[in-house]
Amino acid sequence: MVLQLHVWGPAFSLPSIDAQCLAAIAYCSEVLPKDSWELIASSDPSVSPTGELPALQNDSVWVSRFRNIVDYLRQYSEGDWDLDQNLDEVQKADSVAFSSFVESRGQPLLDLSLYVTSQNYYTNTSPAYGALLQWPNQWILPPKLHAAAKTRTEHLGLSSLDLQAMEDQRQREHNAAVASGQIPKNLLPSQPSTVSKLLGRTAQTNQFRLVALTADFFEPLEAMLARTKTYLLPADKDNETPSSLDCLALAYLSLALVPDLAFPWLRDAMRSKAPLLAAYTERMRDRCLGEDSTPAQAFKPEEPSKLPWRAPERISVSTVGKTLLGTLADNTPFLSEVRQNRRLKRAVEEDESFSSVEKQALSSYADASTKDMFVSIAAVVAGTAALVGYMVQVGLLSFERRGADEEEFEEDVGMSHFEPESVNDILGI
Amino acid sequence: MPPKDPESPPAETNASPFFTVPAPVKRLFDKFPLTTYPANEIPRRVQSHDNVNQLFVFTDARGARHGRPSFNPQCLKWQAYLKFVGIDFEITPSNNHASPTGALPFLLPSLPTDTSNPIPSHKLQKWAIEQVHCEEEQQLNLRFEVYASLLDHRIRNAWLYMLYLDSENFNAVARRLYVNPATTNSMVRAALCHQLQQAARDELLKTSRYIDAADLEGDAGGAFEALSTLLGKDEHFFGRPNPGLFDASVFAYTQLILDDNMGWKRNRLGQLLKEHPNLVQHRNRLLKFF
Repeated sequence: MVLQLHVWGPAFSLPSIDAQCLAAIAYCSEVLPKDSWELIASSDPSVSPTGELPALQNDSVWVSRFRNIVDYLRQYSEGDWDLDQNLDEVQKADSVAFSSFVESRGQPLLDLSLYVTSQNYYTNTSPAYGALLQWPNQWILPPKLHAAAKTRTEHLGLSSLDLQAMEDQRQREHNAAVASGQIPKNLLPSQPSTVSKLLGRTAQTNQFRLVALTADFFEPLEAMLARTKTYLLPADKDNETPSSLDCLALAYLSLALVPDLAFPWLRDAMRSKAPLLAAYTERMRDRCLGEDSTPAQAFKPEEPSKLPWRAPERISVSTVGKTLLGTLADNTPFLSEVRQNRRLKRAVEEDESFSSVEKQALSSYADASTKDMFVSIAAVVAGTAALVGYMVQVGLLSFERRGADEEEFEEDVGMSHFEPESVNDILGI
Repeated sequence: MPPKDPESPPAETNASPFFTVPAPVKRLFDKFPLTTYPANEIPRRVQSHDNVNQLFVFTDARGARHGRPSFNPQCLKWQAYLKFVGIDFEITPSNNHASPTGALPFLLPSLPTDTSNPIPSHKLQKWAIEQVHCEEEQQLNLRFEVYASLLDHRIRNAWLYMLYLDSENFNAVARRLYVNPATTNSMVRAALCHQLQQAARDELLKTSRYIDAADLEGDAGGAFEALSTLLGKDEHFFGRPNPGLFDASVFAYTQLILDDNMGWKRNRLGQLLKEHPNLVQHRNRLLKFF
């Protein structure tokens, strides 16, 4: 069986738009023999039962996330397909720590650069998704990813990169001024919201925060590279082969360096602060990811390329239906919570490494929180009913129609004498 | 319908029936205010120590009296750091609502007395350096920030899972420490519990679509292994003669994971941690400061 790696499709002339996918591609191209794997730009997390990309499929076995894929390949090949086999203890510790560092510091920067910075999102990222997604995911997934990136970077306090949020804020202030009646509406200055004007107000504070953030990320990597010269963590004595950490670093760094964005602050920062790192990224990219990748190449792989592309399957009607229903359910307030609990439960039940006791405890937790939810629905319904009952009783809400014609009014008088008692009866007050 | 209140304005007939005040409620509110109490005094315990630095952390009254370690990792980190660099302070039980930034810990310095500006946790290190001229350890070793990311992400995520989302642990530990001291009202307690768990779940779902307990624990295990290798045979991290900020950050988690008083029902992180005796000894050494 040929291993199949499902990923998010190509964008910005890189083979994938997602950093974890890029890392998996780089790792596979480095460690796997060329004809033993295929790369599929399915660009739809629902192809995998784990609901995440990258996902490696080997017959009925699905493995997702970069680290799990690395572990799986090592176990599957009984240690042959492992870039890290020659690392000593200290290097292994470094590999774990630097991986965690690259993921936790790199992801927010990419989020800020590709999603939160409005110019980049609307002129580059969003069209890139348009080119690689099929209908109806084109309309469903990018806003979701956009929103997720915004929540991930909220705590950094750089929402002023987000022109839309700025504009909303300005609109709110504007409306508040109008509503409070301080200023007549036609006298309010209508500020044309040009990009430079909006940025101008906060550009300096932004600049300070961004300089600090990018420096925090690039400096340790640059210092590390200055020592080892060739790779961040060379996997052999001659410093000739990269390790899994290099694949992961390449993924995050290339998404910072390669995309030609409208507002390239991240690329500028990298080139000025970490010239070694920029050169290293170019070198690694040539080695692992090959020449420029385009969506056309991924979807109609006719010419031979460095990466073993295979065209994704055409989207079927049932998948479309499933996607639409899933989206609908996720956007319905109560259903989304049920689905979230199910997700936890399913993830647990599928995992074989849990002992049965743990499994039971976790699924009972998921069950309990589903139950909680039904209880809260019931409480809300009962509460609403009680409120309506009370309103009817005190006459705040009556089913009569005042001001209608006389005939109806006559009838209603009879009704209104009867009604409170009947409500009293029902509620047993 | 109840009889119309003669005092109600005649305009009422034009108004929507949904927005009139029902007579019994109106009669009730006409009586307010029943009495007006004088303003509360400032709590005495705040005034009593004017000349000591006050660190506000999550702890109980007994823990505060004896200066015991806080049960919140973030608070314990700074509590331990200030002890390690030799700053005198007292701890005061508090909660997030009391903090100017909305998060604990924060410190009320004793000097200068006229301006009592609280210092939030992210400025504590700078303040401590100004006070006792200790080193800024981040500058000394490039691995500081790199290994710190293990604590801030991998171990923290596993901790969030173990404390808040594991229902047995939540009921035995988090409910007792965070929820029960806040109120005696069972409805409010239930709401607080829900909020805490939801916040933890949201935090974990930020970085992945699923909460996979095995993955989180595996990551934490790898992180402990890396930290154990980093420590090696040294007394303190990075071979320093005295414990510093990194030791405090590690201690904040290892102490709470290994502390029997926490009352864990299922302590998977503890099992993983005990595989590395040097980390356990490191924690035992540092516990002597308290």
